Amino acid sequence: MRYKGPILTLAAGLVVAAVLMVMNLNVTRNRDARAAAAEGAATSAPTATAEPTPPPTTEPPAPPAPPATYAGKVNGGRATVAIATKEGQAIAYLCDGKSVEAWLAGTATNGELLLTGADSASLTGVFGNGKAEGTIKAEGRSWEFTVPVVEPPSGLYRAAENVRNAQFVGGWIVVNGEQVGLGVLGGTVTPVPPVDPAAGTVLIDGIPVSVNPVDGTTR
Amino acid sequence: MSQDQTASDPVYVPVSTTGFGPPSPVPPPPPSSGVAKLIVPVAIGGAVALTLGVYGRLHEPTFVAVNLAGFSGPLAAKAWLTTGAAFFAVVQLVTALAMYGKLGITAPAWSGTVHRWSGRIAFLLAVPVAIHCLYAVGFSTAEPRVLVHSLLGCFFFGAFTVKMLVLTRKGVPGWALPLLGGLVFTGLVGLWLTSSLWFFTNVGVTF
Repeated sequence: MRYKGPILTLAAGLVVAAVLMVMNLNVTRNRDARAAAAEGAATSAPTATAEPTPPPTTEPPAPPAPPATYAGKVNGGRATVAIATKEGQAIAYLCDGKSVEAWLAGTATNGELLLTGADSASLTGVFGNGKAEGTIKAEGRSWEFTVPVVEPPSGLYRAAENVRNAQFVGGWIVVNGEQVGLGVLGGTVTPVPPVDPAAGTVLIDGIPVSVNPVDGTTR
Repeated sequence: MSQDQTASDPVYVPVSTTGFGPPSPVPPPPPSSGVAKLIVPVAIGGAVALTLGVYGRLHEPTFVAVNLAGFSGPLAAKAWLTTGAAFFAVVQLVTALAMYGKLGITAPAWSGTVHRWSGRIAFLLAVPVAIHCLYAVGFSTAEPRVLVHSLLGCFFFGAFTVKMLVLTRKGVPGWALPLLGGLVFTGLVGLWLTSSLWFFTNVGVTF
């Protein structure tokens, strides 16, 4: 049949799409399983894959959760937030890659996040079961977020060094190869080049600056 | 390229069948019955576009998906796959113009084969990109570029479906295939501009 070609083309596209979707479901299932194990989730049922279920309101038990970093876009997608937790301590970074950025530090205990930063920035929320959600306030604005656990090399990265006699502090949030970052050089917010988590160095103003992964206890 | 207006305007879409049509001596059938033959393909294509958009909106973004080996990350992989698709789309445009006699040359006999296979390759390059977009990121209205990209993505696969289905039908109006081809091409170029070009200018030309 002369006219079967286009139908075969569509079918081939559909088959490729189906195979990729099955592979994707496996990827997220493995990730959720790892996240659940990392959380030490007491529930016997594993979390379903990528289901937009409402968060459970029950508080997780008291023992300190193992280290975990939660990262992703805030609701609306206008900025990205990363929260690194370890031994009850937490560091968070909010960044839109253009002009807004804020570092916050605080506690992550009993499934609750309580962080503060400069200029009355604050982050409150809950974490557990592979995700963190809450509200972050900075620069007079407020964002809500629900973000998943991410695994290295995804995570939060920070650089703090002197560059040409000016204090430089940079932050990068890497989520599955996509990243957003900003720096403050001598008090001015400045764009930064993307960081290669494996290399751990970026050039700022021509000077190599070391970039380190952040966990909840980094101070 | 000839001095013809169509050659200088890549998205030229004819609205009249005068002096236009496939290189076939068969006279076009009555327009009323021909247009009716477009209804089912257009309805199916619309359903495809709508399904993609609704899925992308409802599915909670995972930020995780299978990635193509050899690239630094999914964004780089998608930027280059889309660039590959856009390259073959240009091949599509040139071979289509040749087949419709708009280049001022006699179309080589292999134009049709090149047109079909460049289209298949472009489509199959675009599918993994769309799957990653839909699964890991989703339909987003966060900023104008992303909104336009989301809409174009749904539109592109809907329009492509219509084009494929119309190809299998006999007796469709002569303007249908050039129109649909132009829409698919415009959609893909728009997708490239709102993704790959953004990536190359904001992140860098990296693999």
